[in-house]
Amino acid sequence: MTAALLAAATGSGAHLAHASAWAVFGVGAALILTGAFGVVLLRNPVHSALMLVITLIGVALEFIDESADFLAAVQIIVYAGAIVILFLFVIMFLAVDRREPAAPEPTRAQRPLAVLLGLVALAELLILSRVQHWSSGAHHVAGSLKGGEDVQKLGESIFTRYLLPFEMTAALLVIAVVAAVVLSRRHGRVAAEMSPAEQEEATLR
Amino acid sequence: MDAAYAILALPLLGTAILLFGGRRTGDPASGWIATAMAVGSFVATVVVWASLLGHSAASRTVHKGLFTWIPVGSLHVSFGLQLDPLSLTWALFSSGVGSLITLYSIGYMKGDSSYGRFFFYMNLFLFSMLVLVLADSYLFSFVGWEGVGYCSYGLIGFWFERNSAAVAAKKAFVTNRIGDFGFMIALFMMFGHFHSFNYSTVLAPLASGRLTLAGATATGLALMLFLGAVGKSAQIPLYMWLPDAMEGPTPVSALIHAATMVTAGVYLVARSAPILHFSPSAQWVVASIGAATALLAATIACGQDDIKRVLAYSTISQLGYMFLGEGSGDYGAGIFHTVMHAFFKALLFLGAGAVIHALHDEQDMKKMGGLWKYLPVSSWTFLAGFLALSAIPPFDGFWSKDAILAAAWHKSPALWAVGVVTAALTAYYMSRQFVLVFGGKARWVDRAAEHGAAGHEAGGHAGGRPHEAPPVMTVPLVILAVGSTVGWLMNAPFAGLNFLERWLAPVFPARIAPSFAVATGTKWAIGTVATAFAILGLVAGLSAWRRTAERPALEPAVLAHAWYIDETVSAAASGPLARLASGVSFGVDAGLVDGLVNGVGRLAAQSGRQLRRFQTGYVRNYALGIGIGAAAILAYLATRMGG
Amino acid sequence: MIQSVLFAGVGHLAQSGSGCLGPNGTSITGLCTSDNSLHMPVAYRSILPMLVLFIGALVLLLVSALLSKRSRPGLYPVLSTAVGLAALVASVWEWYDVGNRGVSTIGGQIFYDRFSVFFGVVVSVTVVLASLVSDSYLRREGLDGVEAYALILLAGTGAVLMAEAAGLIMLFLGLEIMSIALYVMAAYHRRRTESGEAGFKYFILGSFSSAIFLYGVALTYGATGSTRFQDIAGYLARNTLVHDGVLLAGMALLIVGLGFKVAAVPFHFWTPDVYQGSPTPFTGYMAALAKAAGFAGLLRTLTGALSSQQANWRPVIWLIAVLTLLIGSVMAIAQRDLKRMMAYSSISQAGYVLVGLQAGSAAGTAGSLFYLFTYAFVIVGTFAVLGLIQGPGEARNDLGAIRGLARRRPGLAMAMLVFLLAQAGVPLTSGFLAKFYVIEASVQRGQYPLAIIAMLAAAIAAFFYLRIALLMYAGEGEAAGPAPALEPAGGGAEAAGEAAGEAFVADGALTAGLQPVPSLDGATATLTWEPPPEERIAIPPAVAATLAICVVFTIAAGVSSPIIDFARHATAMI
Repeated sequence: MTAALLAAATGSGAHLAHASAWAVFGVGAALILTGAFGVVLLRNPVHSALMLVITLIGVALEFIDESADFLAAVQIIVYAGAIVILFLFVIMFLAVDRREPAAPEPTRAQRPLAVLLGLVALAELLILSRVQHWSSGAHHVAGSLKGGEDVQKLGESIFTRYLLPFEMTAALLVIAVVAAVVLSRRHGRVAAEMSPAEQEEATLR
Repeated sequence: MDAAYAILALPLLGTAILLFGGRRTGDPASGWIATAMAVGSFVATVVVWASLLGHSAASRTVHKGLFTWIPVGSLHVSFGLQLDPLSLTWALFSSGVGSLITLYSIGYMKGDSSYGRFFFYMNLFLFSMLVLVLADSYLFSFVGWEGVGYCSYGLIGFWFERNSAAVAAKKAFVTNRIGDFGFMIALFMMFGHFHSFNYSTVLAPLASGRLTLAGATATGLALMLFLGAVGKSAQIPLYMWLPDAMEGPTPVSALIHAATMVTAGVYLVARSAPILHFSPSAQWVVASIGAATALLAATIACGQDDIKRVLAYSTISQLGYMFLGEGSGDYGAGIFHTVMHAFFKALLFLGAGAVIHALHDEQDMKKMGGLWKYLPVSSWTFLAGFLALSAIPPFDGFWSKDAILAAAWHKSPALWAVGVVTAALTAYYMSRQFVLVFGGKARWVDRAAEHGAAGHEAGGHAGGRPHEAPPVMTVPLVILAVGSTVGWLMNAPFAGLNFLERWLAPVFPARIAPSFAVATGTKWAIGTVATAFAILGLVAGLSAWRRTAERPALEPAVLAHAWYIDETVSAAASGPLARLASGVSFGVDAGLVDGLVNGVGRLAAQSGRQLRRFQTGYVRNYALGIGIGAAAILAYLATRMGG
Repeated sequence: MIQSVLFAGVGHLAQSGSGCLGPNGTSITGLCTSDNSLHMPVAYRSILPMLVLFIGALVLLLVSALLSKRSRPGLYPVLSTAVGLAALVASVWEWYDVGNRGVSTIGGQIFYDRFSVFFGVVVSVTVVLASLVSDSYLRREGLDGVEAYALILLAGTGAVLMAEAAGLIMLFLGLEIMSIALYVMAAYHRRRTESGEAGFKYFILGSFSSAIFLYGVALTYGATGSTRFQDIAGYLARNTLVHDGVLLAGMALLIVGLGFKVAAVPFHFWTPDVYQGSPTPFTGYMAALAKAAGFAGLLRTLTGALSSQQANWRPVIWLIAVLTLLIGSVMAIAQRDLKRMMAYSSISQAGYVLVGLQAGSAAGTAGSLFYLFTYAFVIVGTFAVLGLIQGPGEARNDLGAIRGLARRRPGLAMAMLVFLLAQAGVPLTSGFLAKFYVIEASVQRGQYPLAIIAMLAAAIAAFFYLRIALLMYAGEGEAAGPAPALEPAGGGAEAAGEAAGEAFVADGALTAGLQPVPSLDGATATLTWEPPPEERIAIPPAVAATLAICVVFTIAAGVSSPIIDFARHATAMI
């Protein structure tokens, strides 16, 4: 659909293309923000996870706006499809899908300060970035995209210039595996394995 | 010449061995290791000395680089050794006397529970002392200066379970800090003026006349250095720590607090002669303080009953003589006396140690007496030291003191007069000590009798008699006694025997230490008068104390209490310190430091009370902190944004 | 808006290929490519230490899978040490291979220069030391297993990567690899709630700061059109930015993200909690590694890519440095828990490195590098000692635990004394020269106020280092001795503690976590615990060897100049 829309836009002149690109961007941005607010504000973890899907879909829309169709698809399939589902599994598996108890906030200033700080930081960022041209350098790390080229471009940059970063993410995955092993057997040592002193210590804790 | 490295390396090696293995090597292996290292160091020093003799007199300054410490920017500090007649003189007698005293300690410290620790300190001390004198810069010397200070401090408080030892150590520490403060200021001034600490950069141009120094700068620098010397060498007004330092084991008193460390101030002043040259007023200060200290300490020594305290005040007095000689412009005389003093004062202390040893830790001279027949070796050697210190010809002290008095006469007859009176007092208190300890009746027997048979046994006189020390202790005594008797031949003022003077001449060129001629007749007169005064003192002492140990008229309380100076100072200045001292929890000045820490702790508690509100343990608060930081940085950079 | 820069990546490859000559003008084989084809040669030599560490971690995991369960628990530390040594050898080889100039390689993602290699050495050494000290601790706590060593090696991988990174993307990846491994290490002690809590806090806050960092990367990219340091610097050199707001915003956020890693104030709040909770040898590793890598990133970013923006970032770093120095020192005095105290101490130490960074000169960078290298030995050694004296289950981390150490284990006390003196900056230890170099660099740039504040902070900090030292050398001894005139053991020190006590207890009690429960048992233990009279601290040989290495290095680096020469040569970044 979007491809057709873009093609139509290209056909009917730059003005219309500009307008429609802005429209896609606007819808995407709105989805991202709605989702983000939802993740933070909703109390039910399941709802938060679902709002995350909305954010991810918004990001996918922005990819389409930049002609990165493949990335958009991957974004939806991998993130919205797989990762959030994993989140939901964990949430339900651990039975934390209830409303987070409204814990008393011991630091009275925390919340107003946090809100204020968020607004201040946002304002500062906006002030700092009120420029016409972000840079005159390259806007695209891997070069510009024309329709249908993005898979090739992605492949090229991953296997040439970004080969090392790409491969080093393997280290992250290894750590994740090790971390899972370490953290999941937190209480792994059962009483039988402990010395009496250790048992006593464990009981006292 | 690479033996130069061995001079330092051997004691350091010994230190390391004893630090890590002191417990295992134990008694007496630790002592033998330490002695071997000290002797090795002495031999290396002799080798270096011999090779320097091979050079012509003008080129007897050799530099040995060790390492570059700070190689950046405006400051290039490297540490090395400067081997020249002055440094080698000190190195020779320090390692030589140090070897003998370490040997002696093997016997003296036998059975002490911290045997290894003692010899660790002895070797560390020797190493630091040699660093002090062999260093090629004031900064490196300062490292050694602090090192010997640390050892002195650790050894005074060696028996830290005694309260008095802990307090004495603290006193030495605080007093020396004042002196070190002066030294440090001198270092800063020096760096500000010369941009260097090296003797070759700072002193050599001054000595050769390539550079002059403004009077005010020279005076400031010289006085600050002298303040350091005053602290280390126990001169007025910082002398009070030294008598208390006698709380340490006797070999320590002999080595550190008589023969070597306390002469570091004398070394520093001699080394700084080119600076002193530009400040006549500083020279006057050095000479006057020296003379005043000599007299004051000699009077106090007349009223002391503790065998070691007499010697301690005597040391202060003799150090005063050395400064008198230096301040009068005759560095050679001051150094000559330093070397001679190292012999006879080490001898006297070790002899006193033998006596104390024989009487099972009795130090009160009033409870001694009649030891002559029980301790033949100790008595004879002590006699040699006594005569040398009393400046009776032809023993060592006569010749060196005579040289100083001649210089003082040249400087000012008033200084000379003080020196001569002090000489008489010296002979008096030494003869008093000698007869109280070795002559007269055996008062220690009386004591044993008073306490009855049980007390006698408890006194531990297994054989019922004091007995002579083992050979490991008497051999050093004999060697030092020989040195005290004939050592003066190294610088006798006749027959071209003035080896030391000629050896030192390149260090003190005529430009900075103008030689002065005292007419031969005057010399004879000075020598005769001094000898007359000394014999007068000797006779007075002998006749007064030969028969009785109780002559209250001759021991006014004011002398026994050292003119009450110590008490006055303690009450006035150390009041708060004394209160803190009651809280001292170790030989270190935990009271003082903790007091300071307490203050800072309270301050920190107050600021902490504010700061800790942010350290809540809540992740969200921490994140807020990060956010505030980020917002602040953004806000600042927003103000710097262009366009 | 869409530019037609095709194949920018490969284009850059060609670009870097042209400037990629060896020191003698000869092309370094395998480092460069001169054609525009898609062929991407990987210069393995440029990432050798990192590869050794990473592959070492994989081998370790593989070995553990192949061996029967826990049959050879002693094998892993040996392997891990060997891997660290191999990485060290690789780094040393690189040092001679790389020459003075260095190149950008592997698709312009990696800088192969002396700066990188320097950190290769630092990280390898830290890995070796950490592997050596961890074994006995992990066995004592019943935590031994391959995972700990795999994590040590992986964290090291990330740290080396950060130093080698030629761009913000690589830097971020390295940062994450290191950080995530460290999060897990913080939470490694299964039976201590504090440990899990430490890991969790570190993770949440670390992710928060990583997000900020990423935002900074995005903004910097937006402002300069590249994430590669060389391109950023080149762009800023060629163009005068009229609207530099985006760049400044990006820079600010990069500083925040990296400032978190090095525990600079006000991004330091996690440090005491995490250092206290983490397994003790890991704390030392964490302190050494995260600081080294974080500062490597800061130096690369600020003095490298953004050196043209000095006028903007130096004041920011100035303020951060001042806050870090003062708050670190002041808060450290107010602690009663040794690990917390050392945490604040490490914050204050980071302040000195910031002083070197703030100088923005080669001398300042050299000082910072020297600082980081020598500090690694000091801090790993310090925490190794704390790990020994705390006893099983990390029962005693309070100040009392160290009292009288000199009587019980004089050697251990001596080692600790050296580390304390080094941290206090006493001459003839590496710490003095480290502080001297950074302050000297600061003075050279006319930063007298900063230099004075740094010295002031050192004076404040000296008090608590001295206090620990006095506690070690005070103790039971004289209470047992026949000296009734003296106050009981350590009376003075105890009083000192009391004076600031209120602050300590409050601070200690509030560490209990997300839902803070005043840790009452901890607080009372602090006040009532007395050391058992005859307690023997066992010193495992590996730890003894490590401590000996650390002590010797600390003194050797304090009295001689090779290390600063090494650091000064390493300032040659691209």
